[in-house]
Amino acid sequence: MRPVRLAWLLLSTLFLMGFPFVFGSGGGTSLLEQIFVFGAFAMSYDLLIGYTGIVSFGHAMFFGTGAYAVAIVLSKTGGSTVGLLLGFLIAMTISILLSLVVAFLSLRVRHTYFAMVTLAVGQVFFVLAGSQPLRPLTNANDGISVLTPVWLNSNLAVYYFILIFLAIVTLFLHRFIHSPFGEVLRALRENESRAKALGYRIFHYKTLAFLLSGLIATLAGGMYVVVESFVSTSVYDIGSVSLQVVLMTIVGGVGTLYGGLIGAGIILWLQNELANLAGSYPVFNHAEIAFGVLYVLVVRFLPNGILGTLKGRKGRWRWTSQTFKKSQT
Amino acid sequence: MMSTFFTLALDGISNSALYFLMAAGLTLIFGLLRVINFAHGGLFVWGAYAATFLYSAMHQFWLSLCAGILIGGLLGWLLERGLLTAVYGDGNQQLLLTMGVLILLSELIEIPFGRDPVLATVPPILHHSWVIDHVTIVAYSLFTIGMGACIFGILVYLLQKTRVGLIIRAGVNNQSLVEARGIPIRRLFTIVFLLGAALAGFAGALAGPYYGSITPSMGMDMQLNAFITVVLGGLGSLSGSLIGSLLIGLTTSFVSYYTPSFAVLANVLLMTLVLLVRPQGLFGEGEIV
Repeated sequence: MRPVRLAWLLLSTLFLMGFPFVFGSGGGTSLLEQIFVFGAFAMSYDLLIGYTGIVSFGHAMFFGTGAYAVAIVLSKTGGSTVGLLLGFLIAMTISILLSLVVAFLSLRVRHTYFAMVTLAVGQVFFVLAGSQPLRPLTNANDGISVLTPVWLNSNLAVYYFILIFLAIVTLFLHRFIHSPFGEVLRALRENESRAKALGYRIFHYKTLAFLLSGLIATLAGGMYVVVESFVSTSVYDIGSVSLQVVLMTIVGGVGTLYGGLIGAGIILWLQNELANLAGSYPVFNHAEIAFGVLYVLVVRFLPNGILGTLKGRKGRWRWTSQTFKKSQT
Repeated sequence: MMSTFFTLALDGISNSALYFLMAAGLTLIFGLLRVINFAHGGLFVWGAYAATFLYSAMHQFWLSLCAGILIGGLLGWLLERGLLTAVYGDGNQQLLLTMGVLILLSELIEIPFGRDPVLATVPPILHHSWVIDHVTIVAYSLFTIGMGACIFGILVYLLQKTRVGLIIRAGVNNQSLVEARGIPIRRLFTIVFLLGAALAGFAGALAGPYYGSITPSMGMDMQLNAFITVVLGGLGSLSGSLIGSLLIGLTTSFVSYYTPSFAVLANVLLMTLVLLVRPQGLFGEGEIV
């Protein structure tokens, strides 16, 4: 089993490393860059929904904050490397404070409050980013175009920068969910009152999970700016970011980590294709409805997503084949 | 100065009436079913479009209000019977599923009516306004307040004085005991969900002429304010919804007068203040982790 997994990992790494050389730095590569950014974002969301069992409908507040902080600092410093670093640092600081405040407000009571409060707070950021009084900072509804540092000016450099970011995030999350801390998170997801009875301070664990998830989402938002060189209020949008990341995570498979990456790939690719189709056939102008239908169908009929269902099937196959072997001997 | 204050206050109270209709439905549904209906804004939008469409076609105001109630109730019934029954007891599935229905409802309404605002006209009977001592009194606002008050009265009567209300209150307190008495609680779930959904549809029907135009995205905005209202007032409490909607309605109206875009911010800050002191909301049950 292990060598097969290792081979897969090597193959996919080689494929992703070589992709821009084989296919050039055109549409496919820029789609991949977006998939990496949203994949990291979706994986951070899976830490929350899949491993801690709490649903947020406002994860865009982190993604958008990361994007805006990096964009604002970059544009004020004229696109220097120091500006990029400083932008990420400021973004992370805001993200930590924000997650602590939101957690303190909504995680002390039953976690259904959390879904409502995050939705409302997310919307506040959307409104703030587009508001006129903050125009000197955010440029209101016009958005900010940014200059990235010189070493990030080629498409290849951006591609590898994002790929390395994704690799680090994946490695970190993988280690994290298999750590004792991750075990406790899963324990309180499965049976909160039992975890509480065992003496785990649920509020602290949930808050830390939310903080980490928000931090990674913030970094993904910053990376989005590196890819797009542009930021507008759409990074705070409920429909196109907060709910999109929910869709990506559940399509890929809640609680599978890599599912988020797969989901991001599928959704962004579909979006791209549908946008192309809408360009030539006006029938596809309302294609977004496909995502609403997909969302409901997945939640209702495929609650474990693609990866979760595959894993379950494999597990069942292994179980039945083993018992079959045992009964034969 | 005083006249502006009264004008804004009146405006705020009529806002509150709409928020109350939304919040009351959410709170009733949550109290009994333990489901937070994230599709509530979708029911609101469908109610608004149904009423507006019917009014522009037939010019029967009362009929259009009924259409809003009917479409809300019908969608609620379909949602509860068709989707929610499968996920009772699984909180996260419920959140995700109802949110999906909201997306679907908002997108579906765009197909026939488009994304642009659709004009909703006030019926001639209510198309009046008076200026008394510089205070502007709009007839339709008064009508909205009256409707909100009526619904509050009916709900209180229903819950306190009727047999169904008694069963609902009992179900909120102890579901298994109600079931043990041989009362089909699932049927009660459907009735309460339908009632809450119909209220959302009714709020939509009222909101069309109140705001003057309707858009598919107004469901999400309305839902946000309704959520802030119930979180602030305390989920599951009808009086909490009333007080919450008054606070949020008035804040919206006063803040909108100075900086329109900051109304949501003010509402969330208000909610933050309340949650800092009472994490379960003003009238909420003390279920604290």
